[in-house]
Parts: sequence; C-alpha cells; structure tokens
Amino acid sequence: MNSALLLLIIPLLSAILIHFLLQQKMASIAAILGTIGTLVTLGISLSLLSSDAVGCSFNWAQIGDFNVNIGIQLDQLSKGMMVVVTGIGLLVHVFSLGYMKDDESKARYFGNLSLFMFSMTGIVLADNFVMMFIFWELVGLSSYLLIGHWYQKDSAADAAKKAFLSNRVGDFGFLIGILMIWGITGSIVFDQMALSAATPFLGAAVLLVFCGAIGKSAQLPLHVWLPDAMEGPTPVSALIHAATMVAAGVYMMARFFFSIGFDVIPDCSAVTIAWIGGITSLAAALMATQQDDIKKILAYSTLSQLGYMVMAVGLVDPNAGMFHLYTHAWFKALLFLGSGAVIYACHHEQNIWKMGGLFKKMPITGITFVIGTLCLTAVPFTSGFFSKEGILHAAHESNPALFYIAVAVAALTTFYMFRLLFIAFFGKAKDEHAAHAKEVPLVMAVPLLILGLMSLASPWIGKAIPALNDFHPHIGLEMNSVTIASIAAFVVGLAAAVVFYKGKESDPLANNKVMQLFRNKFYVDEAYAILIKIFQDLVAAIVHFIDEFFINGLLVGGLTRIAQGTGNLFRNHCQSGRLQGYATLLGLGAIVIIYIVTFL
Amino acid sequence: MQTASLTEYLFMSGLLFAIGLAGVIIRRNIIVIFMCLEMMLAAAALTLIAFSRYHTVNGLPDYDGQMLMFFIITVAAAEVAVGLAIIVALYRARQTVNTEDLTSLKG
Amino acid sequence: MLLLALILIPILAALAVFAKLPARTITLGAAGINLILGLYAALCPTCAGTMDVLVLENPAISFSLGLDGMSAVMLSLTVIVTLAAALSGSCPDGRERLWYASINLIAAGAIGAFVSTNLFFFYAFHELALIPTFLMIGILGRGGHERVNIAWKTTIYLAFGSIILLGGLILAGIQLEDLSFSSLQPVAEHQNAIALLLIIGFGTLVSLFPFHSWAAPAYASAPAPVAMLHAGVLKKFGLYGLLRIGLAVAPDGMKHWLNLLLVLLLFNILWMGLVTINQKRLDNMLGASSVMHMGYIFLAIGAAIAAGGNIVDPTTQSLTLAASAAVLLMFAHGISIALSFSLADRIEAKTGTLEMNKLGGLAKAAPKLAFLFGLVAMASIGLPGLANFAGEIMVFFSGFEGWSPEQALGPVQITTIIAIWGVVISAVYMLRAFRNTFHGPAADRCASASDLTFAEKAPAILLSLVLLAVGLCPNLLLNLLK
Repeated sequence: MNSALLLLIIPLLSAILIHFLLQQKMASIAAILGTIGTLVTLGISLSLLSSDAVGCSFNWAQIGDFNVNIGIQLDQLSKGMMVVVTGIGLLVHVFSLGYMKDDESKARYFGNLSLFMFSMTGIVLADNFVMMFIFWELVGLSSYLLIGHWYQKDSAADAAKKAFLSNRVGDFGFLIGILMIWGITGSIVFDQMALSAATPFLGAAVLLVFCGAIGKSAQLPLHVWLPDAMEGPTPVSALIHAATMVAAGVYMMARFFFSIGFDVIPDCSAVTIAWIGGITSLAAALMATQQDDIKKILAYSTLSQLGYMVMAVGLVDPNAGMFHLYTHAWFKALLFLGSGAVIYACHHEQNIWKMGGLFKKMPITGITFVIGTLCLTAVPFTSGFFSKEGILHAAHESNPALFYIAVAVAALTTFYMFRLLFIAFFGKAKDEHAAHAKEVPLVMAVPLLILGLMSLASPWIGKAIPALNDFHPHIGLEMNSVTIASIAAFVVGLAAAVVFYKGKESDPLANNKVMQLFRNKFYVDEAYAILIKIFQDLVAAIVHFIDEFFINGLLVGGLTRIAQGTGNLFRNHCQSGRLQGYATLLGLGAIVIIYIVTFL
Repeated sequence: MQTASLTEYLFMSGLLFAIGLAGVIIRRNIIVIFMCLEMMLAAAALTLIAFSRYHTVNGLPDYDGQMLMFFIITVAAAEVAVGLAIIVALYRARQTVNTEDLTSLKG
Repeated sequence: MLLLALILIPILAALAVFAKLPARTITLGAAGINLILGLYAALCPTCAGTMDVLVLENPAISFSLGLDGMSAVMLSLTVIVTLAAALSGSCPDGRERLWYASINLIAAGAIGAFVSTNLFFFYAFHELALIPTFLMIGILGRGGHERVNIAWKTTIYLAFGSIILLGGLILAGIQLEDLSFSSLQPVAEHQNAIALLLIIGFGTLVSLFPFHSWAAPAYASAPAPVAMLHAGVLKKFGLYGLLRIGLAVAPDGMKHWLNLLLVLLLFNILWMGLVTINQKRLDNMLGASSVMHMGYIFLAIGAAIAAGGNIVDPTTQSLTLAASAAVLLMFAHGISIALSFSLADRIEAKTGTLEMNKLGGLAKAAPKLAFLFGLVAMASIGLPGLANFAGEIMVFFSGFEGWSPEQALGPVQITTIIAIWGVVISAVYMLRAFRNTFHGPAADRCASASDLTFAEKAPAILLSLVLLAVGLCPNLLLNLLK
C-alpha cells in the first residue's frame, strides 16, 4: 500500500469516526483521535520528503475513453506542501485541545477539522484538475462548516454562507477554465498538459483557471469573505484562513504553471494576474491600518500577503510565490494562534483598544507574537525577509510599477503590525479583562513556541520547501537596491507606528476622512450588498412575477382554463338537470338525424 | 267503405307524436309527461300498423306488424305499471311530481 | 419473467390494498421485494431475460420487456425511490387504501415504462402512472382548495404534453416497420416536425421552459411520496424517451432544433434559477429547483445531439459521454430530489410550517434532520462526493467534447459556459434555505421541535447512502451502462 494514500485515508477515517461513532458523548476521545491522526500524517509527510516514492492512481469514473482518476502526484511541490499542511495542522489541533476545551460541540469541531485535513491533502496530492476541483470544493465545505461552527449566531451563519458563495463565483470561472484546458491540451492530468507553443484561447483559459484562485485565495474582487470568515474559532482562522486553504489558490496556480510550462503563458494574462495580486495587496494593507479587531487586522494582513504571492505567480515566478507561501504559513499561523491566546486570556475580547500591557502578563504569547510580527514585517534574517525579497526581486526585474506597490505595502505592513503590537501588548491595560489576563496553559503555549521556532528556522530547512526540485531560495544579506528598499520600508513603517500609536489610549487617526474610508473597507461590502439587491433579488423578483403571471397565468394556466371553461360551458348549459331540456335536445337531435338521413 | 290512405294514417300518427313530444317538452307534471310519452308510443305503433297494412306480400297485407303491435301494447302496459310505480316512489321520496324541482341529474 | 414480476408485484400489492389487507405492510413488502429483484435485474440484465408477446398484428405492437444499461439505471432509480416513498410522509387516518395503492400503481407504471421495449407500452405505462398522481394531489394534497385547481392544472397540462408527444410518436411510428425499440431508426420524412413534437411533448413532461409552471406547485401540494415519485422518477421518463426515441428516430430533426433546445434549457437554468431564489416557501423552492436542474440534463442531450445523435459509441459499444452523463445526472437528481421532498415533509410535520422566514435555528433541536437536509442541499449544490456532482461535471465535460482551440466556441460550448453559472445560483438558494431554516437563533416553533425518529430517518438514510455511494464511486453506475 502506498504510504501517500494513508495521508488521505487517515483524516477521512478520523472524520467519519468522530461524526458518526464518537459524537459529542465522547468528545475528548474525538479530539485526541483527530490530533493523533494528524501526528501520524505529519510523520508520513516527513518520511516522504526524503523517499523517492511515486504516486498511484485509481479510476473514479470512466466513460469510453474519457477517464477521471483519483491519483496522487508526489514531487517536491506536493511533498513540501504536505509538510506545511500537516505540520501546522498538528499544531492547530494541539492548540485547539486547549482553546475548544469547553465548547459544547467539540466533537463536531474536531470532526470538521479532520474533514478539512482530508480535503486539503487531496488538493495538495491531486494529479489532475478534476480531482483537484473535487477537493477544492470539499475544502470549501469544511471551511463553511467551521466558519459556521457557532451557527446560532447570525453573524457566523451569514459569514459561512458568504464564504461559500464567494468561492462558488470563483469556481464558476475555474470550472470553465478546466474545460477549456481539457479542450486545449487534451488532458486533465497535470503531467500530460505540457504545451509546446501558445494556442488560441490559452490566455482566456489561464485567466479562467485563475478565477478559482481569486475565490479561494480571496483576491480582489472576491476578497470580501475572508475578513468575515473570522467568525469561526480562532484556531480555524489560523489553519484554514491564514496558512493553508487560502494559499491553495497560489498552490494551484503554481502547479498549473509548472504543468503547461512557463514559456507558453501569454503575457497579457500573466500581467493581469500580477496586477490583481498587487492591487489586492495594497488595498488590503490600507484596510488593515484602521481595523480594531485583532483578528480582522490579521485577516487583512493575510489578504495582503496572499496578494504578494499571487503577484509572484503573475510575474511568472511561482517559486518565489511558493516560498513566500511556505514561510508565511508558519508565521501567520503563529500570529493567529497568538491572537487566539490573547482572545482566550481576555475572555473573548477581540478589540485591541480594550487590551494593552499584555506582553508582561503573557510573556510566552508576547515573545512569540513579536517574533511573528518581525517575520511578517520582513526584518532582515527572518523568514519573511528572505521570501519577500524574492518577490521584490521578481517585480524589480519585470515590472517597476508593481515593485513600488510592493515596497509601499511592505511599509504599510510594518505600520499596522506595530500599531497592533503597541496597543495590544504594550502600554497600559485599557480594560478589566486585559488587566487580569493570565498566560495560557501549556497545551496552547507549546504550539506557539514551536511555531515561533519554525518561523525563524523555516528558510533553512531546504527539503521541506515546496517548489520545483531545482529551486534554492536565496538566503543571505546582499546590499542591493531591492534590499535597501525593503529595509527602508520597514524603517518608515516602524517610525510612523511609533509616532502615531506609541502609548496611545485611542486612535488618533480615527476622524480622518481618508482613514475612515480604510476603516470601512472602501465600502466594498456595501456596494456588493446593493449590487446583490439589484442584480439578484430584484431581478429574481421580476422574473418570478413574469413567470407567475405570464407563463403560469397565460400559457400554462390559459390552456387549463380553456379546457375547464369548455367543460363548464357544456355542464352548465346542456347538463342542467332539467328533464324538459334533455327532452328538447333529444327531439332536436332526432330531427337533425331525420333531416340528414332523408334529405342529404 | 272508404278506407283511409297510408298518407292519412301517417299524418295522424305524426300529429299524435308531435302532440306527445310537445307535452313532454312543455308540461311540468311528471304524470302528464308520462301520459304524453304513452301517446308518442301509440303514434309510433300506429305508424307500424299502417305500414304493415299497406305492405303487401304475395298480394296479401302483411299481418306481422299487427302481431308485433300486440306485443308492444303488452310491454307498454308493463312499462306503465313500472313507470307509475317509479313516480309513486319518487313522490314519496321528494314530495313532488314537478320536474322543475327534480334536477339532481345536474352535472 | 423477472421483468414481468417487477411490474406485477406492485399491481398485485395495489389490489391487495384495495381488498383491505394491511396496506402499509403489503406496500413495504412489495417495494422491498421489488428493490431486491430490481437491483438484481439491473446488475445482471441477461438474468432478467426478455419477453415478447404479439398483441396486434398491424401496426405491429407487442408487449415486450427487456433491459439494457440505460433502462437498468432507471429501473434501479425507480425501485429505490419507491421504497423510500413508501416509507415517507404521514398518511391521513382512514385513507390508507388510496395512499398506498397509489404508490404501488405509480411504481408499477414507472417500472413498466422503463422496462418496456415497445413504443406503445412505453407510452401507455407512463399514462397509467399519471392517474394515481392526479388523484393523490387532488384528494390528499396540501394547500386547501387550491390543491384541486393544481391537480387539474397538472393533469390537463401533462395530458396536453402527452397528446403532442403522441402526435410525434404516431408520425414517426407510421414510417417504422414495427414499434419495438430495437428497430427504431432514422425515419425518412418529416424529421423536423417529429423532432419538434417530441421536444415539446417530452419537454412538457420534464418541465422544459416555457412548459414548466405546472411542476413547482404540483410538487408543493402533492403528498410527500407522490412528489418523490413524480419528481424523482416519472419526470425522468421524458428525458429517457428523448434520449432513447427522439435521437433514434429523428437525429437530423433534433439537430435542426438544437439551437432552440439550447436556448430553452438556458432559460430553465437561469430563469428558473432566479425564480427559485425568490421563493419564500421551502417546498416551492424545492419544486422550482427541480425544474431548474432539468436544464443540465437537457444540456447533456443537446451535447449528444451535437455529437451526431448516436447515444452508443460505435467503436467501444458503450454509451457516449453525453448520454452517460445524462443518465448519471438523471439518477442522481432523482435520488436527491426524492430525499429533499421526504425531508421537507418532515420539517413541516415537526414545525408546522415551511415558510422560511418563520423557521430558524432548527439545527439545535433536530441535528439529525439538519445533517440529512444539509447533505441533500449540498448534493443539490453539486458538492463532490455526492452523486449530483459526478453527473454535473460529466455533463459539462460532454459539452466541451470534441472542441479544440483551433475552432471558435460552438453553440453547445457557449451554452455550457453560461449553464455553469447555474452552480452559483443553486448554491445561492440552497444555502439561503439552509441558513434560514437551520442556522441562526432558534425560532420558537423550531426550539421545541423533536428530532427524526428511526422510522422517519429510514428513507432518508437509504437515499443518502445511494447518493454517497454513487458520488464516491460513479463507476458503480457507469459500469451498468457499458
């Protein structure tokens, strides 16, 4: 039996056992089962790193010579990604043991987490587009279930629905793209897709496939679901909405670009992708500067970093994007779990203006959060610095405009992260809960420490980096214009944060008109709400009206009425029940017959 | 003795039939309607006899029709008995013999 | 003989029910035996044998039964849904005879239509099944006096469709040597007229736009088992007939009307999708959604027409991609719509209403109901792992079969692309319904509702297992088609 298959089977079994057998009665066993399952898969993923095992394949559907397989593709890209998924998955499971200890639906939570691990593994290992789409939808489902974990809150239920629907809009394009790629390359299997020359429709197909990534990786204009998805439990946000699932779009594009070959990708589609990434990155960073909810800040930061990765893909340097995905996964999971620890300690308070002074009260959380922040803000020699530099280099070489955007985003990142740090972790406690916050228990602190370690160490663990086999990330400090720009951006952002937010009790920029625009996310949600009202609800109402009155009333109803009306006519006037009437008709009938027989 | 011609018989029976039909259509009392029905039956019987009388087989009138007539009268007598019984039963059930009030055949 | 037994068992059961024997037991027994026999016959069509009795010399009509891949799938669908329908719904006291006899007769008609291999009996058995449907809606339906009007509308409309269909069949039949399926071949004259009559006739039975508006109210007011059987099984008769007869006797005519069919099916998907979004009651919404999903199956038929009208690939001797996709989706939709009507009936029984704005938070009080309804909602959305996804994706692939980048996008490809937007629409209305019914704070009537009992769960579990099995391994079904 292929050990890679176990990666799929173990979480699936775990999900089935938890949902149907253990249930809430044995919630603690369910939690431990899920965690152990993930531990085993991490072990397998690590062992696969140095083995040269090959994939395998099973027939899922066959019609004539059209085949869809469930197959496993093992290469550096998928092996490395598996380590990220199972590694962070394990730490999040452990963290959840503490964070969700008293939840009344703990078993459902862990069951859905296992379902997610199964689906995400499927995306990573998929060897063809249909299988990837299958698991792509399944991660969407697990994300829906986990965002809606506390479904009795209206906000959580709506957020779950919104996430699913936004992803569906992206999948609309994705599915068309898959069909077109099937038409163009004649195959849905990644290994058989290589094209020797550009063909018509390829540019459109690439962009359509990218639509899937727009949905899943929350790029403009479908980014709206990700901040709302923070309604889910915080460990879920760390695993799904920061480290792994949202990065699946980038992973998919990388896999796709490697498969068809870099040379044939039309410039116009690549540039479009890069610009969507760049604009998302900038817009999300601007929105992040004015958020007050600690998880929302991190969510917009995730959007912004995903924009970086997409930009790298669009600059036809998916390796740089994947490297950033890999380092980002560790430190962003760290930041989210850190925020989870803070929220846990502050009795589910998420507003940073009601925190403060937490660094001293929660030293482990504080130190690891600072490490995460330093990585995210790309301080030299941290993992974020190396991976961000790769993207900056790619932009510097081929697209100066995007390079300036990327540098600006770097400065903004430093600004909003230090704003968060100054207000929530330093200064005075601004609320009762924050004043009495205590360090989290060991089961939550240990994952933070391990993630802190991984955030710093990840660039040096070469084999675990998901990328092409011959990719070696540039690790080291060379003073060139890109590095200088990167460091300058950090300094500018830090200085601004110090000036505006060090030791402040309330937001000094809150009344600024421009800042209010950022705070309200450029009013995109409101605009979408109006658009949906007009183009969906209103049109639906009109269509329904027409359907009801014209088609049902006239066409279908008319036919019925004609039939019934004729019947009623005869019933009322001929079948009156009056004996004489019948007799008259009888007589008339006889006369007519006699007339016909005699005279015609 | 001057015998009536076939046309006169037919005219007579047509008249009887028309009177009967008019009675059936116009009158409301079900007993009168019943009597009118009998009159129509008699008209039909008269036609039968007339045709049979003027239809000659081998130079002789055909008396089969007249024989049939006796059967018709017999059956009609039975029919009157049954019909009147129905009317009596109807009257007992509905307290009326007016057809205006008897419209339960309405669809 | 096995096939004859499949038809006779429900008829005998109906007679037994009329004879005042214990109705529920007999019906469940008959449905259970039929499930076993039917699946056995489907898995082994040669064991099922054939039957051929000449009824009329000229035109040659014979009572002939037989089973091939396509009818085996439809037969399995029928026997599965019949058992689930017999287990579903709550029969009003004192009406057991009508209720269970109708279920049996509908089942007999549907099985007869799918195993007949002669045009005449194929048509006649379907009509047989419509009579109890009409009676059940009119007599035992929901929705007060309105149900009588709905029953009339449905019946007259279906009769109208059947008459048009009969016209088409007669026009084709007089040009054929005999009416058995094996001797169907493209006719020499009037192909265009035949194709149009068949599209409208079969289309009316399947609720093709604009002949669709009988469907949603009929399903909303029909008792649960009838809605399940009609939407799940009987409606597929039209699609089956179009694939089996329409494509065989008038391939060129079908090609002539292909663009019309494509436009109409897009209306089915997009127009009805919007109508579905605007529904306020769960049962109306499910009825409208079933109309919408017919569009996908018509899309597969459109692809089959464009590919030349052969449903059997001459080289591999198996069904083509488009035809297989259509059959797969028919099966999947039949199971899933039956499941959703069965569960909607339970929601009404538990809470007393199906108006979505009066429901909410039901998941807390009835988690099993929520799980099963969530499952069928996801199936309807087209989530992988459930049968509908396998069908839908095959349909989309069949739309792009034979396309290469050197040529422009043809009408079928463009239709496919637009039709894919339907997956977004169905997610919108299904998730909205699920959100309003099961999520959010619990409404009063939902907080005190009880969860499903085992007897209530049984039909839902049967159907969900089928959905999962075919969804996880579509080859289970596709192997039958080879």
